[in-house]
Amino acid sequence: MLILAIDSATPVAGVALMDDGRLIKEEFSNYKKTHSETLMLMVDRVLNESERTLDQVDALAVTTGPGSFTGLRIGLAAVKGLSMAAGIPVAGVSTLDTLAHNIWAGDALVCPLLDARKQEVYCGFYDVAGKLPLPLLEARACAPEEFLADAVEVAAKYGKNRIILLGDGYYPYTEFFAEKLGQQLLIPPPHLMLPRASALGDLGADKLAKGQVEDIMQLRPSYIRLSEAEYRLGKGEL
Amino acid sequence: MHDVLILGIETSCDETAAAVVKNGREILSDVVNSQIDIHSQFGGVVPEVASRKHIENIGLVVDTAFENAGLSYNDIDAVAVTNRPGLIGALLVGLSFAKAFAYALNRPLLAVNHLEGHIYANFLEHSAIELPALCLVVSGGHTSLVYMPSIGEYELVGETRDDAAGEAFDKVARFLGLGYPGGPAIQKAAQKGEPGKVILPRVFLDRNDFEFSFSGLKTAAMNEWNKLKRKGLANVNDLAAEFQAALVEVLVEKTMHAAEQFKARSILLAGGVAANQELRNLMKKRGREQGLPVYYPSLHLCTDNAAMIAGNAHINYIKNIYAPLNVNAYPGLIVPVKSTCG
Ligand SMILES: [Zn+2]
Repeated sequence: MLILAIDSATPVAGVALMDDGRLIKEEFSNYKKTHSETLMLMVDRVLNESERTLDQVDALAVTTGPGSFTGLRIGLAAVKGLSMAAGIPVAGVSTLDTLAHNIWAGDALVCPLLDARKQEVYCGFYDVAGKLPLPLLEARACAPEEFLADAVEVAAKYGKNRIILLGDGYYPYTEFFAEKLGQQLLIPPPHLMLPRASALGDLGADKLAKGQVEDIMQLRPSYIRLSEAEYRLGKGEL
Repeated sequence: MHDVLILGIETSCDETAAAVVKNGREILSDVVNSQIDIHSQFGGVVPEVASRKHIENIGLVVDTAFENAGLSYNDIDAVAVTNRPGLIGALLVGLSFAKAFAYALNRPLLAVNHLEGHIYANFLEHSAIELPALCLVVSGGHTSLVYMPSIGEYELVGETRDDAAGEAFDKVARFLGLGYPGGPAIQKAAQKGEPGKVILPRVFLDRNDFEFSFSGLKTAAMNEWNKLKRKGLANVNDLAAEFQAALVEVLVEKTMHAAEQFKARSILLAGGVAANQELRNLMKKRGREQGLPVYYPSLHLCTDNAAMIAGNAHINYIKNIYAPLNVNAYPGLIVPVKSTCG
Protein backbone atom coordinates (compact mmCIF):
# COMPACT_ATOMS: atom_id res chain seq x y z
CA MET A 1 0.00 0.00 0.00
CA LEU A 2 1.43 3.31 -1.16
CA ILE A 3 0.79 6.29 1.13
CA LEU A 4 1.62 9.90 0.32
CA ALA A 5 1.88 12.02 3.47
CA ILE A 6 1.57 15.81 3.28
CA ASP A 7 2.26 18.18 6.15
CA SER A 8 2.15 21.98 6.12
CA ALA A 9 0.69 22.59 9.56
CA THR A 10 3.64 24.56 10.95
CA PRO A 11 6.57 26.49 9.41
CA VAL A 12 7.77 23.04 8.28
CA ALA A 13 6.57 21.62 4.98
CA GLY A 14 7.01 17.89 4.49
CA VAL A 15 6.06 15.23 2.00
CA ALA A 16 6.80 11.52 2.31
CA LEU A 17 6.04 8.42 0.30
CA MET A 18 5.71 5.12 2.18
CA ASP A 19 5.22 1.69 0.72
CA ASP A 20 3.81 -0.89 3.13
CA GLY A 21 5.48 0.76 6.09
CA ARG A 22 8.76 1.29 4.27
CA LEU A 23 9.85 4.91 3.79
CA ILE A 24 10.78 5.47 0.14
CA LYS A 25 11.36 9.18 -0.01
CA GLU A 26 10.88 12.16 2.24
CA GLU A 27 11.27 15.88 1.74
CA PHE A 28 11.53 18.22 4.69
CA SER A 29 11.75 21.97 4.49
CA ASN A 30 12.00 24.44 7.33
CA TYR A 31 12.92 27.45 5.28
CA LYS A 32 11.01 30.70 4.95
CA LYS A 33 9.17 30.02 1.74
CA THR A 34 5.44 29.92 1.68
CA HIS A 35 3.88 26.48 1.62
CA SER A 36 1.62 27.60 -1.18
CA GLU A 37 4.69 27.91 -3.41
CA THR A 38 6.57 24.81 -2.30
CA LEU A 39 4.12 22.12 -1.28
CA MET A 40 2.91 20.88 -4.67
CA LEU A 41 6.45 21.04 -6.07
CA MET A 42 7.51 18.78 -3.20
CA VAL A 43 4.68 16.37 -3.96
CA ASP A 44 5.72 16.31 -7.60
CA ARG A 45 9.40 15.71 -6.77
CA VAL A 46 8.68 12.98 -4.24
CA LEU A 47 6.54 11.08 -6.74
CA ASN A 48 8.84 11.68 -9.71
CA GLU A 49 12.03 10.73 -7.94
CA SER A 50 10.35 7.62 -6.58
CA GLU A 51 9.25 6.78 -10.12
CA ARG A 52 5.63 6.70 -9.05
CA THR A 53 2.58 8.58 -10.21
CA LEU A 54 -0.37 9.78 -8.21
CA ASP A 55 -2.50 7.08 -9.84
CA GLN A 56 -0.42 4.48 -8.01
CA VAL A 57 -0.93 6.09 -4.61
CA ASP A 58 -3.46 4.21 -2.50
CA ALA A 59 -4.08 6.82 0.20
CA LEU A 60 -3.11 10.25 1.46
CA ALA A 61 -2.28 11.32 4.99
CA VAL A 62 -2.45 14.91 6.18
CA THR A 63 -1.88 16.81 9.42
CA THR A 64 -5.22 18.33 10.42
CA GLY A 65 -4.05 20.53 13.27
CA PRO A 66 -3.38 22.27 15.44
CA GLY A 67 -0.97 24.62 13.72
CA SER A 68 -0.87 27.75 11.63
CA PHE A 69 -4.40 28.41 10.38
CA THR A 70 -3.25 29.26 6.87
CA GLY A 71 -0.72 26.43 6.76
CA LEU A 72 -3.35 23.90 7.77
CA ARG A 73 -5.72 25.12 5.08
CA ILE A 74 -3.04 24.97 2.39
CA GLY A 75 -2.37 21.34 3.28
CA LEU A 76 -6.03 20.36 3.55
CA ALA A 77 -7.01 22.17 0.35
CA ALA A 78 -4.20 20.39 -1.50
CA VAL A 79 -5.21 17.02 -0.08
CA LYS A 80 -8.87 17.64 -0.93
CA GLY A 81 -7.94 18.50 -4.50
CA LEU A 82 -5.70 15.43 -4.87
CA SER A 83 -8.16 13.10 -3.18
CA MET A 84 -11.19 14.19 -5.19
CA ALA A 85 -9.46 14.24 -8.57
CA ALA A 86 -7.53 11.00 -8.07
CA GLY A 87 -10.28 9.26 -6.10
CA ILE A 88 -8.10 8.21 -3.18
CA PRO A 89 -8.96 8.14 0.53
CA VAL A 90 -7.46 10.45 3.16
CA ALA A 91 -6.36 9.80 6.71
CA GLY A 92 -6.30 12.90 8.91
CA VAL A 93 -3.74 12.93 11.74
CA SER A 94 -3.21 15.37 14.60
CA THR A 95 -0.10 17.52 14.27
CA LEU A 96 0.70 16.81 17.92
CA ASP A 97 0.38 13.03 17.42
CA THR A 98 2.71 13.37 14.46
CA LEU A 99 5.32 15.20 16.52
CA ALA A 100 5.00 12.78 19.44
CA HIS A 101 5.70 9.93 17.03
CA ASN A 102 9.28 11.26 16.62
CA ILE A 103 10.02 9.68 20.01
CA TRP A 104 9.51 5.99 20.46
CA ALA A 105 9.71 3.27 23.09
CA GLY A 106 10.76 5.43 26.00
CA ASP A 107 9.22 5.82 29.42
CA ALA A 108 9.34 9.63 29.46
CA LEU A 109 6.30 11.85 29.10
CA VAL A 110 6.44 13.30 25.58
CA CYS A 111 4.99 16.77 25.13
CA PRO A 112 4.90 18.28 21.65
CA LEU A 113 4.57 22.06 21.64
CA LEU A 114 3.57 24.29 18.77
CA ASP A 115 3.95 28.04 18.77
CA ALA A 116 0.39 29.35 19.10
CA ARG A 117 1.47 33.03 19.26
CA LYS A 118 -0.10 35.39 21.80
CA GLN A 119 2.31 33.95 24.42
CA GLU A 120 0.67 30.54 24.16
CA VAL A 121 1.49 27.04 22.97
CA TYR A 122 -0.58 24.24 21.52
CA CYS A 123 0.39 21.27 23.66
CA GLY A 124 -0.17 17.54 23.93
CA PHE A 125 0.79 14.90 26.54
CA TYR A 126 1.82 11.43 25.36
CA ASP A 127 2.94 8.05 26.51
CA VAL A 128 5.22 6.61 23.81
CA ALA A 129 6.05 3.25 25.36
CA GLY A 130 3.97 1.39 22.79
CA LYS A 131 4.12 1.26 19.03
CA LEU A 132 2.01 4.39 18.64
CA PRO A 133 1.87 7.56 20.76
CA LEU A 134 -0.93 7.44 23.30
CA PRO A 135 -2.45 10.76 24.37
CA LEU A 136 -2.84 11.07 28.14
CA LEU A 137 -4.64 14.42 28.18
CA GLU A 138 -6.56 16.44 25.65
CA ALA A 139 -4.58 18.81 23.46
CA ARG A 140 -5.14 22.52 24.01
CA ALA A 141 -3.82 26.04 23.66
CA CYS A 142 -2.55 27.70 26.82
CA ALA A 143 0.24 29.74 28.40
CA PRO A 144 3.53 27.85 28.87
CA GLU A 145 3.17 28.15 32.67
CA GLU A 146 -0.20 26.43 32.52
CA PHE A 147 1.13 23.74 30.23
CA LEU A 148 4.04 23.11 32.56
CA ALA A 149 1.82 22.64 35.60
CA ASP A 150 -0.22 20.05 33.70
CA ALA A 151 2.86 18.30 32.37
CA VAL A 152 4.35 17.93 35.83
CA GLU A 153 1.06 16.61 37.17
CA VAL A 154 0.56 14.12 34.33
CA ALA A 155 4.18 12.94 34.66
CA ALA A 156 3.67 12.31 38.38
CA LYS A 157 0.35 10.56 37.84
CA TYR A 158 1.79 8.15 35.26
CA GLY A 159 5.08 7.66 37.08
CA LYS A 160 7.27 9.28 34.42
CA ASN A 161 10.56 10.69 35.64
CA ARG A 162 11.49 12.57 32.53
CA ILE A 163 9.61 15.03 30.34
CA ILE A 164 10.59 15.35 26.69
CA LEU A 165 9.64 18.63 24.97
CA LEU A 166 9.76 19.03 21.22
CA GLY A 167 8.28 21.16 18.45
CA ASP A 168 8.72 24.82 17.51
CA GLY A 169 6.68 25.89 20.53
CA TYR A 170 9.62 24.95 22.75
CA TYR A 171 12.12 27.44 21.33
CA PRO A 172 10.64 30.74 22.61
CA TYR A 173 10.68 29.38 26.18
CA THR A 174 13.90 27.35 26.38
CA GLU A 175 15.21 29.15 29.46
CA PHE A 176 11.90 29.03 31.25
CA PHE A 177 11.55 25.27 30.78
CA ALA A 178 15.21 24.61 31.67
CA GLU A 179 14.82 26.54 34.88
CA LYS A 180 11.53 24.97 35.91
CA LEU A 181 12.20 21.34 34.95
CA GLY A 182 15.94 21.07 35.56
CA GLN A 183 17.09 17.44 35.42
CA GLN A 184 13.59 16.26 34.53
CA LEU A 185 13.78 17.92 31.09
CA LEU A 186 14.99 16.15 27.97
CA ILE A 187 15.29 17.85 24.58
CA PRO A 188 15.71 15.70 21.46
CA PRO A 189 18.43 16.29 18.86
CA PRO A 190 17.50 18.57 15.92
CA HIS A 191 16.43 15.78 13.56
CA LEU A 192 13.69 14.78 15.99
CA MET A 193 12.50 18.25 16.99
CA LEU A 194 10.07 19.10 14.19
CA PRO A 195 7.19 17.28 12.46
CA ARG A 196 8.19 14.66 9.89
CA ALA A 197 5.96 13.63 7.05
CA SER A 198 7.22 10.07 7.50
CA ALA A 199 5.84 10.00 11.05
CA LEU A 200 2.58 11.34 9.66
CA GLY A 201 2.55 8.64 7.00
CA ASP A 202 3.05 5.92 9.60
CA LEU A 203 0.19 7.18 11.77
CA GLY A 204 -1.93 7.59 8.65
CA ALA A 205 -1.28 3.96 7.70
CA ASP A 206 -2.47 2.89 11.14
CA LYS A 207 -5.69 4.89 10.78
CA LEU A 208 -6.32 3.50 7.31
CA ALA A 209 -5.77 -0.04 8.59
CA LYS A 210 -8.44 0.66 11.20
CA GLY A 211 -10.76 2.01 8.51
CA GLN A 212 -10.55 5.55 9.89
CA VAL A 213 -10.93 7.48 6.66
CA GLU A 214 -11.98 11.14 6.43
CA ASP A 215 -15.09 12.36 4.67
CA ILE A 216 -13.21 14.55 2.21
CA MET A 217 -16.12 16.93 1.65
CA GLN A 218 -16.50 17.57 5.38
CA LEU A 219 -12.82 17.57 6.33
CA ARG A 220 -11.70 20.74 8.08
CA PRO A 221 -8.75 21.68 10.27
CA SER A 222 -8.80 21.17 14.03
CA TYR A 223 -7.86 24.71 14.93
CA ILE A 224 -8.44 24.26 18.69
CA ARG A 225 -8.92 28.01 18.82
CA LEU A 226 -11.85 30.06 17.57
CA SER A 227 -11.07 32.88 15.19
CA GLU A 228 -10.54 36.21 16.96
CA ALA A 229 -13.84 37.58 15.61
CA GLU A 230 -15.84 34.53 16.75
CA TYR A 231 -14.17 34.70 20.15
CA ARG A 232 -15.11 38.35 20.57
CA LEU A 233 -18.63 37.75 19.29
CA GLY A 234 -19.00 34.97 21.85
CA LYS A 235 -17.89 37.33 24.61
CA GLY A 236 -20.40 39.91 23.43
CA GLU A 237 -17.69 42.34 22.37
CA LEU A 238 -19.02 42.72 18.84
CA MET B 1 -11.37 22.13 -32.98
CA HIS B 2 -12.90 20.49 -29.94
CA ASP B 3 -14.77 22.41 -27.25
CA VAL B 4 -12.68 23.78 -24.40
CA LEU B 5 -14.15 23.16 -20.95
CA ILE B 6 -12.61 25.11 -18.10
CA LEU B 7 -13.31 24.68 -14.40
CA GLY B 8 -13.14 28.01 -12.55
CA ILE B 9 -12.57 28.39 -8.82
CA GLU B 10 -13.03 31.62 -6.89
CA THR B 11 -12.38 32.19 -3.16
CA SER B 12 -10.98 35.72 -3.02
CA CYS B 13 -13.47 37.12 -0.54
CA ASP B 14 -16.60 35.68 1.06
CA GLU B 15 -18.06 33.53 -1.72
CA THR B 16 -16.85 30.00 -2.36
CA ALA B 17 -17.56 29.52 -6.06
CA ALA B 18 -16.94 27.04 -8.86
CA ALA B 19 -18.18 26.95 -12.44
CA VAL B 20 -17.63 25.22 -15.73
CA VAL B 21 -17.52 27.40 -18.85
CA LYS B 22 -17.35 26.18 -22.44
CA ASN B 23 -15.15 27.99 -24.96
CA GLY B 24 -14.98 31.07 -22.75
CA ARG B 25 -18.60 31.85 -23.53
CA GLU B 26 -21.15 29.32 -22.45
CA ILE B 27 -21.80 28.80 -18.73
CA LEU B 28 -22.48 25.10 -18.10
CA SER B 29 -22.68 25.48 -14.34
CA ASP B 30 -22.19 28.28 -11.86
CA VAL B 31 -22.21 27.46 -8.14
CA VAL B 32 -21.82 30.17 -5.51
CA ASN B 33 -21.85 29.44 -1.81
CA SER B 34 -22.31 32.81 -0.16
CA GLN B 35 -21.18 33.44 3.41
CA ILE B 36 -23.08 36.68 3.65
CA ASP B 37 -25.25 35.53 6.58
CA ILE B 38 -22.22 34.50 8.58
CA HIS B 39 -20.36 37.76 8.03
CA SER B 40 -23.39 39.97 8.57
CA GLN B 41 -23.24 39.21 12.30
CA PHE B 42 -19.78 40.78 12.32
CA GLY B 43 -20.90 43.76 10.21
CA GLY B 44 -18.45 42.93 7.41
CA VAL B 45 -16.25 40.23 6.00
CA VAL B 46 -13.91 38.72 8.61
CA PRO B 47 -10.92 37.24 6.74
CA GLU B 48 -10.24 34.33 9.10
CA VAL B 49 -13.92 33.37 9.22
CA ALA B 50 -14.10 33.54 5.40
CA SER B 51 -11.04 31.27 5.06
CA ARG B 52 -12.53 28.76 7.47
CA LYS B 53 -15.74 28.61 5.48
CA HIS B 54 -13.85 28.23 2.19
CA ILE B 55 -11.96 25.13 3.32
CA GLU B 56 -15.22 23.56 4.56
CA ASN B 57 -17.12 24.33 1.36
CA ILE B 58 -14.60 24.03 -1.46
CA GLY B 59 -14.98 20.31 -2.14
CA LEU B 60 -18.75 20.29 -2.29
CA VAL B 61 -18.93 23.49 -4.34
CA VAL B 62 -16.54 22.10 -6.97
CA ASP B 63 -18.30 18.76 -7.02
CA THR B 64 -21.67 20.45 -7.48
CA ALA B 65 -20.32 22.50 -10.38
CA PHE B 66 -19.49 19.25 -12.19
CA GLU B 67 -22.79 17.67 -11.27
CA ASN B 68 -24.79 20.67 -12.49
CA ALA B 69 -22.85 20.68 -15.75
CA GLY B 70 -23.42 16.95 -16.16
CA LEU B 71 -19.68 16.35 -16.42
CA SER B 72 -17.12 14.19 -14.71
CA TYR B 73 -13.80 15.60 -13.50
CA ASN B 74 -11.88 14.16 -16.42
CA ASP B 75 -14.02 15.99 -18.98
CA ILE B 76 -12.43 19.36 -18.28
CA ASP B 77 -9.44 20.73 -20.19
CA ALA B 78 -8.03 23.09 -17.59
CA VAL B 79 -8.45 24.45 -14.06
CA ALA B 80 -8.63 28.22 -13.54
CA VAL B 81 -8.37 29.95 -10.19
CA THR B 82 -8.33 33.49 -8.83
CA ASN B 83 -4.90 34.21 -7.36
CA ARG B 84 -5.19 38.01 -6.85
CA PRO B 85 -6.30 40.43 -5.58
CA GLY B 86 -8.24 39.52 -2.46
CA LEU B 87 -7.97 38.27 1.10
CA ILE B 88 -4.72 36.31 1.12
CA GLY B 89 -5.88 33.50 3.41
CA ALA B 90 -9.08 33.09 1.40
CA LEU B 91 -7.26 33.10 -1.95
CA LEU B 92 -4.85 30.43 -0.71
CA VAL B 93 -7.66 27.93 -0.13
CA GLY B 94 -8.90 28.12 -3.71
CA LEU B 95 -5.39 28.26 -5.15
CA SER B 96 -4.10 25.28 -3.15
CA PHE B 97 -7.14 23.22 -4.06
CA ALA B 98 -6.97 24.19 -7.73
CA LYS B 99 -3.27 23.36 -8.01
CA ALA B 100 -3.75 19.91 -6.54
CA PHE B 101 -6.90 19.23 -8.55
CA ALA B 102 -5.22 20.24 -11.82
CA TYR B 103 -2.11 18.27 -10.91
CA ALA B 104 -4.07 15.11 -10.15
CA LEU B 105 -6.02 15.39 -13.40
CA ASN B 106 -2.86 16.29 -15.31
CA ARG B 107 -4.48 19.44 -16.69
CA PRO B 108 -3.00 22.93 -17.04
CA LEU B 109 -3.55 25.47 -14.28
CA LEU B 110 -4.55 29.05 -15.12
CA ALA B 111 -4.17 31.92 -12.65
CA VAL B 112 -6.76 34.66 -13.03
CA ASN B 113 -6.84 38.24 -11.82
CA HIS B 114 -10.16 38.74 -10.04
CA LEU B 115 -10.69 42.21 -11.52
CA GLU B 116 -10.18 40.93 -15.04
CA GLY B 117 -12.71 38.25 -14.20
CA HIS B 118 -15.27 40.86 -13.20
CA ILE B 119 -14.73 42.71 -16.48
CA TYR B 120 -14.95 39.46 -18.41
CA ALA B 121 -18.42 38.78 -16.95
CA ASN B 122 -19.64 41.23 -19.61
CA PHE B 123 -18.27 39.03 -22.39
CA LEU B 124 -20.16 36.02 -21.06
CA GLU B 125 -23.44 37.77 -21.80
CA HIS B 126 -22.78 40.30 -24.55
CA SER B 127 -21.36 39.05 -27.81
CA ALA B 128 -20.56 42.24 -29.70
CA ILE B 129 -18.72 44.56 -27.33
CA GLU B 130 -16.85 47.29 -29.21
CA LEU B 131 -13.20 47.68 -28.22
CA PRO B 132 -11.36 49.56 -26.92
CA ALA B 133 -13.52 49.71 -23.82
CA LEU B 134 -13.33 51.68 -20.62
CA CYS B 135 -14.28 49.54 -17.62
CA LEU B 136 -15.45 50.66 -14.20
CA VAL B 137 -14.88 47.88 -11.66
CA VAL B 138 -16.77 48.71 -8.47
CA SER B 139 -17.22 46.40 -5.50
CA GLY B 140 -16.67 46.15 -1.78
CA GLY B 141 -12.96 45.77 -2.42
CA HIS B 142 -12.35 47.82 -5.54
CA THR B 143 -13.10 51.01 -7.37
CA SER B 144 -10.92 50.96 -10.47
CA LEU B 145 -11.03 52.38 -13.95
CA VAL B 146 -9.45 49.99 -16.42
CA TYR B 147 -8.70 50.66 -20.06
CA MET B 148 -9.11 47.59 -22.27
CA PRO B 149 -7.61 48.10 -25.75
CA SER B 150 -8.28 44.52 -26.82
CA ILE B 151 -9.44 41.26 -25.30
CA GLY B 152 -7.09 40.13 -22.55
CA GLU B 153 -5.26 43.46 -22.36
CA TYR B 154 -5.85 45.70 -19.38
CA GLU B 155 -4.40 48.96 -18.21
CA LEU B 156 -5.27 50.41 -14.82
CA VAL B 157 -5.96 54.12 -15.28
CA GLY B 158 -7.31 55.07 -11.85
CA GLU B 159 -8.31 53.73 -8.46
CA THR B 160 -9.79 54.87 -5.19
CA ARG B 161 -7.38 56.52 -2.80
CA ASP B 162 -9.28 55.33 0.24
CA ASP B 163 -12.56 53.41 0.56
CA ALA B 164 -13.90 51.29 -2.27
CA ALA B 165 -17.40 52.32 -3.36
CA GLY B 166 -18.96 49.17 -1.91
CA GLU B 167 -17.06 49.68 1.31
CA ALA B 168 -18.46 53.22 1.58
CA PHE B 169 -21.95 51.80 1.03
CA ASP B 170 -21.34 49.23 3.79
CA LYS B 171 -20.00 51.72 6.31
CA VAL B 172 -22.70 54.31 5.75
CA ALA B 173 -25.47 51.69 5.78
CA ARG B 174 -24.14 50.36 9.05
CA PHE B 175 -23.97 53.86 10.50
CA LEU B 176 -27.54 54.57 9.42
CA GLY B 177 -28.67 51.24 10.85
CA LEU B 178 -29.77 49.96 7.45
CA GLY B 179 -27.98 46.62 7.68
CA TYR B 180 -25.42 44.61 5.72
CA PRO B 181 -24.53 44.40 2.88
CA GLY B 182 -24.78 48.13 2.45
CA GLY B 183 -25.29 48.49 -1.30
CA PRO B 184 -28.70 46.79 -1.57
CA ALA B 185 -29.74 48.27 1.82
CA ILE B 186 -29.02 51.84 0.73
CA GLN B 187 -30.58 51.30 -2.69
CA LYS B 188 -33.77 50.07 -1.02
CA ALA B 189 -33.95 53.03 1.37
CA ALA B 190 -33.08 55.47 -1.42
CA GLN B 191 -36.10 54.33 -3.42
CA LYS B 192 -38.31 55.66 -0.64
CA GLY B 193 -36.40 58.92 -0.32
CA GLU B 194 -35.45 61.86 -2.44
CA PRO B 195 -31.98 63.11 -3.28
CA GLY B 196 -31.27 66.83 -2.89
CA LYS B 197 -33.22 67.30 0.34
CA VAL B 198 -29.91 66.98 2.10
CA ILE B 199 -26.81 68.09 0.23
CA LEU B 200 -23.68 65.93 0.22
CA PRO B 201 -20.47 66.76 -1.64
CA ARG B 202 -19.45 65.26 -4.98
CA VAL B 203 -15.75 64.56 -4.56
CA PHE B 204 -14.11 64.70 -7.96
CA LEU B 205 -10.59 65.41 -6.69
CA ASP B 206 -8.60 66.66 -9.68
CA ARG B 207 -10.94 66.71 -12.64
CA ASN B 208 -8.11 65.59 -14.88
CA ASP B 209 -7.09 62.42 -13.15
CA PHE B 210 -9.03 59.24 -12.60
CA GLU B 211 -8.62 58.73 -8.89
CA PHE B 212 -11.57 58.40 -6.57
CA SER B 213 -12.05 59.25 -2.92
CA PHE B 214 -15.10 58.24 -0.94
CA SER B 215 -14.03 58.65 2.68
CA GLY B 216 -14.93 62.36 2.58
CA LEU B 217 -18.41 61.60 1.29
CA LYS B 218 -18.80 58.90 3.90
CA THR B 219 -17.80 61.26 6.71
CA ALA B 220 -20.06 64.01 5.36
CA ALA B 221 -23.00 61.60 5.32
CA MET B 222 -22.33 60.57 8.91
CA ASN B 223 -21.97 64.19 10.09
CA GLU B 224 -25.12 65.21 8.27
CA TRP B 225 -27.00 62.33 9.88
CA ASN B 226 -25.91 63.37 13.38
CA LYS B 227 -26.88 66.99 12.66
CA LEU B 228 -30.31 66.02 11.35
CA LYS B 229 -30.96 63.77 14.30
CA ARG B 230 -30.16 66.61 16.73
CA LYS B 231 -32.65 68.80 14.92
CA GLY B 232 -35.21 66.00 14.93
CA LEU B 233 -35.37 66.12 11.13
CA ALA B 234 -33.73 62.82 10.40
CA ASN B 235 -35.15 61.01 7.37
CA VAL B 236 -32.92 58.06 6.66
CA ASN B 237 -34.40 57.50 3.19
CA ASP B 238 -33.60 61.01 1.98
CA LEU B 239 -30.06 60.75 3.26
CA ALA B 240 -29.62 57.33 1.64
CA ALA B 241 -30.92 58.76 -1.65
CA GLU B 242 -28.54 61.69 -1.55
CA PHE B 243 -25.59 59.52 -0.57
CA GLN B 244 -26.29 57.12 -3.41
CA ALA B 245 -26.79 59.98 -5.88
CA ALA B 246 -23.51 61.66 -4.88
CA LEU B 247 -21.53 58.44 -5.11
CA VAL B 248 -23.06 57.37 -8.40
CA GLU B 249 -22.58 60.79 -9.99
CA VAL B 250 -18.86 60.75 -9.23
CA LEU B 251 -18.49 57.20 -10.59
CA VAL B 252 -20.36 58.05 -13.79
CA GLU B 253 -18.67 61.37 -14.52
CA LYS B 254 -15.17 60.02 -13.92
CA THR B 255 -15.92 57.04 -16.15
CA MET B 256 -17.34 59.20 -18.95
CA HIS B 257 -14.35 61.50 -18.71
CA ALA B 258 -11.91 58.60 -18.92
CA ALA B 259 -13.84 57.06 -21.83
CA GLU B 260 -13.51 60.33 -23.71
CA GLN B 261 -9.81 60.72 -22.93
CA PHE B 262 -9.00 57.14 -23.98
CA LYS B 263 -11.27 57.27 -27.02
CA ALA B 264 -13.14 54.19 -25.84
CA ARG B 265 -15.87 52.79 -28.02
CA SER B 266 -17.87 51.29 -25.16
CA ILE B 267 -18.21 51.37 -21.41
CA LEU B 268 -18.29 48.25 -19.24
CA LEU B 269 -19.54 48.08 -15.67
CA ALA B 270 -18.35 45.27 -13.44
CA GLY B 271 -18.31 44.18 -9.80
CA GLY B 272 -20.90 44.00 -7.04
CA VAL B 273 -21.75 47.71 -7.09
CA ALA B 274 -22.51 47.41 -10.82
CA ALA B 275 -25.72 45.79 -9.58
CA ASN B 276 -26.82 49.22 -8.32
CA GLN B 277 -29.81 50.35 -10.37
CA GLU B 278 -29.06 54.06 -10.05
CA LEU B 279 -25.52 53.51 -11.34
CA ARG B 280 -26.77 51.44 -14.29
CA ASN B 281 -29.43 54.00 -15.20
CA LEU B 282 -27.27 57.09 -14.99
CA MET B 283 -24.39 55.45 -16.87
CA LYS B 284 -26.79 54.36 -19.64
CA LYS B 285 -28.25 57.85 -19.86
CA ARG B 286 -24.85 59.57 -20.03
CA GLY B 287 -23.64 56.93 -22.47
CA ARG B 288 -26.54 57.66 -24.78
CA GLU B 289 -25.75 61.36 -24.64
CA GLN B 290 -22.14 60.64 -25.62
CA GLY B 291 -23.02 57.98 -28.17
CA LEU B 292 -21.26 55.27 -26.17
CA PRO B 293 -22.86 51.86 -25.59
CA VAL B 294 -22.87 50.84 -21.92
CA TYR B 295 -22.75 47.19 -20.90
CA TYR B 296 -23.15 45.51 -17.54
CA PRO B 297 -23.57 41.88 -16.48
CA SER B 298 -26.85 40.53 -15.15
CA LEU B 299 -27.20 40.91 -11.38
CA HIS B 300 -25.90 37.45 -10.57
CA LEU B 301 -22.72 37.89 -12.62
CA CYS B 302 -21.96 41.27 -11.01
CA THR B 303 -21.21 39.69 -7.66
CA ASP B 304 -18.33 37.28 -7.14
CA ASN B 305 -18.67 34.06 -9.12
CA ALA B 306 -16.41 31.52 -10.78
CA ALA B 307 -17.96 31.64 -14.26
CA MET B 308 -16.18 34.93 -14.87
CA ILE B 309 -12.91 33.32 -13.74
CA ALA B 310 -13.32 30.29 -15.99
CA GLY B 311 -14.36 32.57 -18.86
CA ASN B 312 -11.43 34.93 -18.50
CA ALA B 313 -9.02 31.99 -18.25
CA HIS B 314 -9.96 30.93 -21.75
CA ILE B 315 -7.97 33.88 -23.11
CA ASN B 316 -4.74 32.52 -21.66
CA TYR B 317 -5.67 28.92 -22.30
CA ILE B 318 -5.73 29.37 -26.06
CA LYS B 319 -2.41 31.21 -25.85
CA ASN B 320 -0.94 28.34 -23.78
CA ILE B 321 -0.08 30.70 -20.95
CA TYR B 322 -0.26 28.39 -17.96
CA ALA B 323 0.58 28.97 -14.31
CA PRO B 324 3.47 26.98 -12.79
CA LEU B 325 2.94 24.68 -9.81
CA ASN B 326 4.61 27.22 -7.52
CA VAL B 327 2.34 30.12 -8.46
CA ASN B 328 1.36 32.09 -5.38
CA ALA B 329 -1.59 34.23 -4.27
CA TYR B 330 -1.30 37.98 -3.72
CA PRO B 331 -3.53 40.39 -1.83
CA GLY B 332 -2.85 43.24 -4.28
CA LEU B 333 -3.30 43.77 -7.98
CA ILE B 334 0.35 43.64 -8.86
CA VAL B 335 2.35 40.43 -8.68
CA PRO B 336 5.76 41.11 -7.13
CA VAL B 337 8.43 40.32 -9.74
CA LYS B 338 10.64 38.32 -7.38
CA SER B 339 8.01 35.71 -6.59
CA THR B 340 7.06 34.87 -10.14
CA CYS B 341 10.40 33.38 -11.14
CA GLY B 342 11.66 29.89 -10.52
ZN1 LIG C 1 -15.22 40.78 -6.68
